[in-house]
Order: sequence, then structure tokens, then C-alpha cells
Amino acid sequence: MKNLIIHMILLAVMVLGIQSVSLAQEGKSIDDQTKEISYLLMCPVCQGQSVGESNSNLANDMRDIIRKQLEQGKSKEEILTYFVNSYGESILATPPPKGINWLLWLLPAVGIIVGGIGITLFLFKAQKDERKENSPADNAQASGDNEYLQKIEEELKKNDS
Amino acid sequence: MKIFSTSGKIVVLIIIIGLVGLMGYAIFGNRTNVKTSPLIGQPAPDFILKTFDGQDIALNDLKGKTILLNFWASWCMPCRQEAGALERSWARYKNEDVVFIGVNVWDENSNAQNYLSQLGGGYTNALDPNEEIQVNYGVGGVPETFFIDSSGVVRDKFTGPLTEQIIDYYVMKAKKPETSESL
Repeated sequence: MKNLIIHMILLAVMVLGIQSVSLAQEGKSIDDQTKEISYLLMCPVCQGQSVGESNSNLANDMRDIIRKQLEQGKSKEEILTYFVNSYGESILATPPPKGINWLLWLLPAVGIIVGGIGITLFLFKAQKDERKENSPADNAQASGDNEYLQKIEEELKKNDS
Repeated sequence: MKIFSTSGKIVVLIIIIGLVGLMGYAIFGNRTNVKTSPLIGQPAPDFILKTFDGQDIALNDLKGKTILLNFWASWCMPCRQEAGALERSWARYKNEDVVFIGVNVWDENSNAQNYLSQLGGGYTNALDPNEEIQVNYGVGGVPETFFIDSSGVVRDKFTGPLTEQIIDYYVMKAKKPETSESL
């Protein structure tokens, strides 16, 4: 019973949360929505600028069209689809994760994983080599070397005297 | 210090070769099916334009005709370069159910009128009062030209200045019945 009440409260909190997010989106002005969508589209005649950032004639036309379509009640997805139908997917600032585009989404993760494995292996090997250098056998050899050096020094001193 | 064993080195080499291969495919891969516009093979976006002498011209009224739709501006040098070829080609095709329409975009009306008095005069030139046609057709600059077949389907798009040979090639292609190869 206690669990049921907790689940009910969690569900109510989730529903209220979702509703407040959608209400916040609905509450956005046409200007804000136009700006938001314009930043999701790349300006076809500009170097790496979005429609929202560009002052070109084409970007102005595109912003006007976004505004008109919002006033007609079209959704963000419908507006983005309209631009994709005219200009292709390259118009989108964020390429959709499909086809060869998956590489764009996967390669950074693959790079991080492979890089991480590489660094781990490097550190592991480095630590292993260090351990080998400090092993008892090495220490024994080192002490043997020290005795040998000590003898040489003693002989040199004798010669000097 | 040895980081990778021989088998580890082979795996790393295979990964690198694989990544280089994928990049190569992305850059130099099969481009024969790459379309210059997503509109190719699709019904041409509808339009109602206003000609410079105040007449309306609508796509719907041109069904059954092959259309050359050329986007231009008076400040555009390549547009001036192709103007002669367009006029000469229009003179050859005007009796063959081929319609040439010039669409003036991103321009001052007076400059456009001057341009037409110097370089135009033959085929119809018009404006979109709503300034939407250029976005509907996915125009990214001028000159850009669309070739629409008699059933109202966009068959090709050409970016850059046209020559008579280029016009002939695309007009003839648009006049031919559509085949799966042409898409």
C-alpha cells in the first residue's frame, strides 16, 4: 500500500513536470520560436552560420517564412521538414543520426573509448616495467654493483696513497 | 617499452584502415545518385508570380509544357553572362511547347527593370510578391535554373551560368519521357 502511494506521487510529479514543460513551450512567443528554429537551420549561402546568425537576404527570407508558418499554426517539425524538402538534410544544423551520418555520432564515442583503452594500456605497461625495475632481482644486482664499485674506489684510494 | 603486442598492432592497424576507408567512402563514394536538389523527381512547388508588366503567371496554367525556370538578379555577373544564351535558346524553343521564365530575386525593382531593358525582352520575367519561391525551390544563390517536365515534375537543377549547349541538354532531357535512370 505504502509503495502504491509512493508510485502514485512519483507519477503525479512526472505528469506535472511534463505538463509544465509543454506549457512553457506553448507560452513561447512567435519571435522566440522563430529564433529557436532559425538556429536549427544552416544558412545555405553563408560559411558555417545558422539562419539565426546570418544577415543575408536568403536568411531573412527564411526567417520570414518560419514566422509565417508558425503563424499558420505549423509545428517546429513541420517547418524543419519543409526546409529539408527544399534544401536537403544539409540544411539542418544537427544532422539526423541515420545512414552515413551515424559516423558523426559514433566516431567521437569510438575515439574516446579507443583512446581510453590506449592510455590505460600505456599506463599499465609503464607501471609493469617500473615494477620490474624495482624487483628484488634488480635490487640484488644493484647491491652487487655497489659492492663492486666500492672495491674499485678502495683500490683507487690505495693507488693514490 | 612495448605497448602493443603483435596481434594488438594488427588490430590497431585494421581499425585505422577501416576508419580511413569510411572517410574515403564519405568523401569519394558513389556520387552517381547524388541529386543536386531534393526536388528532383518531385512535383515542382506551386507558384503564382507577377510579371514585370503586372500579369499573373501560375505553374498550374503551364501544365503540359516543359518549363525552364531561371532565378536571377541584376547585380549577379554570371546572370549577365548567361542572358544572351537564354534569349537565343528561347528564340529557338518558343514554338516547341517550352516556356522560359526568369524569376528576379533579392533585387531592387528599378535595377531589375534596367537589366531587362538591356539584356532581356524575349521571354517572361517575373517576381514573387511573397518572396517565397526562392526558398520553396531551395535556391542558394543566382543564377540557378530548374527544368520542369510537361507533367510538372522537376527533372534537373543547374547552378551557375548557362550556355546554349547546357540549355539544349537539359531541355531535351526534360522533354523526353521520364525513365527510372533519369532520376
